[in-house]
Amino acid sequence: MSKITKSSTAEYFAKNLQQVGFSSPLKAVLTTLKEAVDNSLDACEGAEILPELEIEVKKVGIGSTKNTDLIKIVVEDNGPGIDADDLAKVFGEYLASSKFGRGQCSRGQQGIGISAATTWAQMTNAKGVQVISKTKSMKKAVSAQVDVDIKTNTGIVRNKTTLDWKKTNGTRVEFLMDGRIQMNGDGGLLTYIDGTVLVNPHLTVTHKMGDNEKTTVERVSNDSPEIPEATLPHPHTFKLGEFITHSHLYGKISLSKFLKTGFSRISDQSIKDFVKNGLPKNLVEKTITTMNEEDFKKAFQAVQATELMAPSTKSVLTVGEDSLSKSINRLGEVDFFSVMTRKPTICDFKPVVVEVALARFINRGSEGEPVQLLRFANRVPLQFDKSGCAITWAIESVNWKSYGLSQPKDSLPQGPYVFAVSIVSPFIKFKNASKETIDASDELVEEIRRALMQAGQKLSRHIKHEMKEADLERKLAHIEQFGPILVEKLVSISGANASRKKKAEEGLRKILGRDSDDAVNQLEEAQTKLAAQKQKEAKKMSSADEADKGSQ
Amino acid sequence: MALIKVRELRLDIPKEAKNLAEKMLSDLEKSKRPYLEAVKTSLDNSNYNSKVGYLTPGEKMVRTELNVSSVQKLARVVFMLEILLRNLDIGAVNTKRELYYICKGLIKGDGKYKPLDFEDQDESDGIIDFIGDMLEVYREELNCYANDRGGQTYSQQLVVTETLPDGDKANVDLSTLGTTPFQPKNRPQSLKLKAKKKIDFCLVVESEGTAGTLQSMGFTKRNNCILMGAQGVPSNGVRGWCKLIENQLDVPMYFFGDLDAYTMQNIFRTLKAGSAASLIRNGDFSAPNVRFLGVLPGDVKKYDLPHYKVKESDPAEARQLKKAKDALENDPFFRDKKNKELSDILRWLIKEKIRCEQQSYFSVDPRDPIKTEKIILEKIRRGDYV
Repeated sequence: MSKITKSSTAEYFAKNLQQVGFSSPLKAVLTTLKEAVDNSLDACEGAEILPELEIEVKKVGIGSTKNTDLIKIVVEDNGPGIDADDLAKVFGEYLASSKFGRGQCSRGQQGIGISAATTWAQMTNAKGVQVISKTKSMKKAVSAQVDVDIKTNTGIVRNKTTLDWKKTNGTRVEFLMDGRIQMNGDGGLLTYIDGTVLVNPHLTVTHKMGDNEKTTVERVSNDSPEIPEATLPHPHTFKLGEFITHSHLYGKISLSKFLKTGFSRISDQSIKDFVKNGLPKNLVEKTITTMNEEDFKKAFQAVQATELMAPSTKSVLTVGEDSLSKSINRLGEVDFFSVMTRKPTICDFKPVVVEVALARFINRGSEGEPVQLLRFANRVPLQFDKSGCAITWAIESVNWKSYGLSQPKDSLPQGPYVFAVSIVSPFIKFKNASKETIDASDELVEEIRRALMQAGQKLSRHIKHEMKEADLERKLAHIEQFGPILVEKLVSISGANASRKKKAEEGLRKILGRDSDDAVNQLEEAQTKLAAQKQKEAKKMSSADEADKGSQ
Repeated sequence: MALIKVRELRLDIPKEAKNLAEKMLSDLEKSKRPYLEAVKTSLDNSNYNSKVGYLTPGEKMVRTELNVSSVQKLARVVFMLEILLRNLDIGAVNTKRELYYICKGLIKGDGKYKPLDFEDQDESDGIIDFIGDMLEVYREELNCYANDRGGQTYSQQLVVTETLPDGDKANVDLSTLGTTPFQPKNRPQSLKLKAKKKIDFCLVVESEGTAGTLQSMGFTKRNNCILMGAQGVPSNGVRGWCKLIENQLDVPMYFFGDLDAYTMQNIFRTLKAGSAASLIRNGDFSAPNVRFLGVLPGDVKKYDLPHYKVKESDPAEARQLKKAKDALENDPFFRDKKNKELSDILRWLIKEKIRCEQQSYFSVDPRDPIKTEKIILEKIRRGDYV
């Protein structure tokens, strides 16, 4: 028999980096950037700091692997900084996270991403990540290289020094790794920046991507999002194994106490209901440390069989319609747009909020192309494998033709639009660890679909006014073009003389003049309506602006 | 040289057209909205009486009054009308396709006509049909013909005598044509039919290819009959030709085609009673005595014919089934009690959702090359038709 060995978590991920977003040189660069930015934004929000990021992605040479470039990726933030002692854990250890499973809408969840980026850099360029960090309490900033010790899943700090730094607090990470740069399109760096900018109205970012100019996008909101308190888990979202493991966190307490303090939506009444639904009475006050698996199973089954209030939706964070409206303008010159934030709801026993922004831009996209789709999960852009994603499914299931957009069968609609759909939930079910696609459950797709249809209805008011305008203009042109031909041919067939022709022409002008007057009036009405709606939207944006100024 | 006429027309088309133009012009002079009226050619304006035998127009008219939306159509109508009148005047004829290109040439040659331009032939065909419905005359009476399609005919007994426009006569004995079929023109012809020997029946086969196959296996050698291929939905030429055979020879006529909703509604019904689109000319372009020989639902079981399920996921198939349901409710032909056996076939098709093609007879006995012929003859002999 061959020898069975145990490998470390780091070893597993080092061998399976494709599972966490490092399946191609292109994805490696984007994923690294994404992980670094996610960490910065989460850290800033945690410390209630308005984030200011500086990003640089640049080709600096030839990669060690075939057909790759050596890419430098730098992300610098003004966050709270990381203590020198934590550097190894944060950048060099897998599953070391401050956020794992705590039920908050943070971007990061498990503590895999940035360590995977470090591993990739280490494997392709023999060096982990170069970090500079300073907290407010530190006199000098600390600078070090962090590597992953793959055999033991621990971080190794090398060349640690201190230095004077321009910032009072913040973190700067620098990766050198094999990769490739793509600017536009679904997997493009600029697409990523657009998306991040859109759903983070409070973010100021300066970026220099490849040979592009250095660009700064200012924040449009001065409110750091308030991260809602984490809520206790709902028992119906658990499986038996999780239920037993969860109990270990609570030590020597009775089952009833464990249920009431360890979960949400369980009251004294619920405990009585559990008994009615088969929970043995002797278990209710039994200490959980003395319960065996059979006991847990009985308790768990009774809990699952009992109807409970749906989970609370308080833990869900949204961007909000006002902020989204303003943020859209940072992507380019908006012709018109519509935003929709749905009320928090429960899908698959998890609280979820769907937000949708549909916007038409003056200098982006074209009529014959599919709309640009920006997908977000907890405010992180999702850029790969869109065909399997719940968001894409929902968009394709909507009949956009009824809102005035053209749409090939079973596809995304077409036109110079950006469709941004954001799903926020403390527990998003991804299809894979690299967080590229949201698993499509029927309930979730339906919820997204509803949001899209509401946004679509708002959008269609614009489009319909425009179509009416075009239609009327066409009719007016008709009168001028076809009237004279009609008279000419009638005269020719009937053999009438020139004076009759003149009279008929006058008559025609009178008839069609009445029609064209009507058409002109209708046209004016349509234009007024369109203008009024645009004004209403402009007002929405500016009033949100003023509210911001007031809060400064 | 006078053209051959389809019928004795009492209407003087140029005079009628001139009156119409005169009326429209005088309306315009008075700043009144001129209008055009035509027979409404749709099922909801179709009547059917089994004694008459074909669909006839009801009272409904479509009225096109001049306004910003209709001015384009009206201008196109008078533009086309002028060309047709010129043709009538000088005795020239054109096909629909030729008229399409003639219009395009005139329009492109003169900047002021540019807005009239037709994007495809369907648009100009629609205008020609409207003029016919408006004047209540046949397209053929406007000297506008369609291309020949279908009607390839084989017989050892049939002799056709054609009187040509210059008075010359041509005698065509179909038995002398070898493998070549006789094909009626899709335009008026003056034909006299004669049977050298008693003709027992006339068989119209939906597929022109299958008619050819039967012929090459010696069908007309063994049977005193007329064998004809319809080539799908029968053209005016085929419909007029069947009518002529019916009128002049008085032989039983049978139709043999696929067992599906399309064949029943679009091909067989059009051959027997005309169509809603051609309401004003069904009288001369339908053969009310034709019977549906098969494929009948009963044949599927009796001969164990290969058949298959209609794919409802296929939009074209689903549309046919929906149309069949519509026909049962709204088509006066299928609603008529006399045609109950035909509408029963539609009901059966809707219920069973299967289809069976005419070529399935070829699979009944793979070792017998003339099995299809034998089945057809057996069915005729036993009266196994609807």
